[in-house]
Amino acid sequence: MQQRRSRISITSEIVAVVAVLAVVLPLAWTVFLAFQPNRSIVRRDLNFEFWLGNFRQLFESGSIFGQQTVNSVIITVGAVLICLIVGSLSGYGLAKLRPPRWLVLPSVALAVLIPIIPPITLVPGVVVQMSSFGLLGTTTSLILLNAVFNLPFAVLLMKSHFDNVPAELREAALVDGASEARTFVSVVLPMVRPGLAAVGIFVGIMAWNEFLFGLTMTSGGETAPLTVGIASLVQPYEVTWGQMAAAGSIAAVPIVVLAIVANRQIVAGLSSGAVKG
Amino acid sequence: MNSPAVDAPSSRRRRSKTHHGTAKWAIFSVAPFALFVIVFAAYPLGEMIRMSMSAVEIVDGQFSITPTGFDNYRQAFADSDAWRSMRINAIFIAASVLVSLVLGIVLAFVVERSVIVHHIARNVLIWPAVVTPVVVSLIWLLVISPTAGGLNKFLEYVGLPGQSWLDSATGALTSAIGVDVWHWTPIVFLFVYTALTNIDRDVVQAARVDGASEGQVRRLIMLPMIRGTVVGLLLVRIVQGVKAFDEIYLLTRGGPNGATELISLYIRTVFFDDLQYGYASALSLTVVLITFVIVGLAFLARRLRQSRSI
Repeated sequence: MQQRRSRISITSEIVAVVAVLAVVLPLAWTVFLAFQPNRSIVRRDLNFEFWLGNFRQLFESGSIFGQQTVNSVIITVGAVLICLIVGSLSGYGLAKLRPPRWLVLPSVALAVLIPIIPPITLVPGVVVQMSSFGLLGTTTSLILLNAVFNLPFAVLLMKSHFDNVPAELREAALVDGASEARTFVSVVLPMVRPGLAAVGIFVGIMAWNEFLFGLTMTSGGETAPLTVGIASLVQPYEVTWGQMAAAGSIAAVPIVVLAIVANRQIVAGLSSGAVKG
Repeated sequence: MNSPAVDAPSSRRRRSKTHHGTAKWAIFSVAPFALFVIVFAAYPLGEMIRMSMSAVEIVDGQFSITPTGFDNYRQAFADSDAWRSMRINAIFIAASVLVSLVLGIVLAFVVERSVIVHHIARNVLIWPAVVTPVVVSLIWLLVISPTAGGLNKFLEYVGLPGQSWLDSATGALTSAIGVDVWHWTPIVFLFVYTALTNIDRDVVQAARVDGASEGQVRRLIMLPMIRGTVVGLLLVRIVQGVKAFDEIYLLTRGGPNGATELISLYIRTVFFDDLQYGYASALSLTVVLITFVIVGLAFLARRLRQSRSI
């Protein structure tokens, strides 16, 4: 019986290969075009060159693309740090301490609602709010918004990791005279490193990919993230295919590399944060 | 594991010693999260509700909000563009959700069954779900664009006429649905694949021993066992369909002539291009309520089914 199962099904292998090609080919085509000059892209026949001009043009002086890439890095790092700190602290509180209900109920209710709400619907309120804070159009506003939309995921994932840490560990540290803060940082936190890795990688990807708030909070200039810069390259009339492909590669290749090396953390993130996105 | 009898007295002693500090620490630990979601999610939500029942203008660089009752909602009801967006979004959701569910389930079974490409496929097939959504559209523009796209080069190479799908209403909507399917089928694949690998091997093995064919095992044993996962995914994909924005904004900008203007794109246009802040808020609240109704109905349906099966 076992043998029938382990016999190779040719159909399955072929369909799986076709699916893999359907994912890889469009990505590979983009990376390929990134190294082609425009004249050979719009030519009717295929023509292979290796040209770095698209990347040079993207980052040449006077272009804001470099600044937008830096913005995306800052936004991503900021959002990840907030989610790691708040996520682990609050996840710990929800899992191991007994916070009062008046605090837990609204927090958890919002944590459940935020992933369901279409982000565009919050834009009107957020624009008014950020403009009254004087933050409209700043990188800070994008750090905060990216953090908020990923926090429910971060807190709930960290809570599930803290749930698995034995209560005896915490109690033993407290009995030995460690303070609550010390117990958290030096005893419990090291136990949930896999959770921190999953939160860091997944929130990083989500913040790096974010477009809607980047588009609506900034005017698309020097404070906009990379994704908004890429979108502005796609113009109906002035088409720079090579630069588009180069910019797309800059955004996508790091993510694909992460998907290869950190597959397990990403799967953990997708599994618990699928509603977001 | 300690027995409860041994554990209880010692933990009571500990708690009495550290109780006061722990209570404060508990509030301190959850407060940052509560503060964040209340300030940056609940507050904007409240502002949106207030603006939806007001006339909102910018006066001297400040938003000025004057209550007007339900005028914005009356406007929404009479707005044929809003209704068209809802209709297009419904078509988009129905097609994209259905196709991605079927495709994702098939791929999960196939990859679970495959041996040679098993590991590569399992890794590669989740890539689209994490690639930047804006780049997902860009990638497909580079494939289907009539002027520079790879698809037309290929069609010409094999002697077929080129396509210009993005220029026609049906073609643009179909392309948008296709891109969405490429983008999110990986989620379906991942969940169903995980569910399949968690199925009790003994049950499947027993069916085989009883003489069931591989097809029967898949259809009659494994498929019913992943039904819960599929129902959950259905809900997740519908919510994703209501949220859809990034890919379509870049792929078609809602065009041609509004043929792919999903509700999220329409709200953006009303707020930023037409500068009707109050009206955009009313549309937003309507969409939030519709989303809540869908999710609520789904949970209610599950409740009813569960209570009936008991």
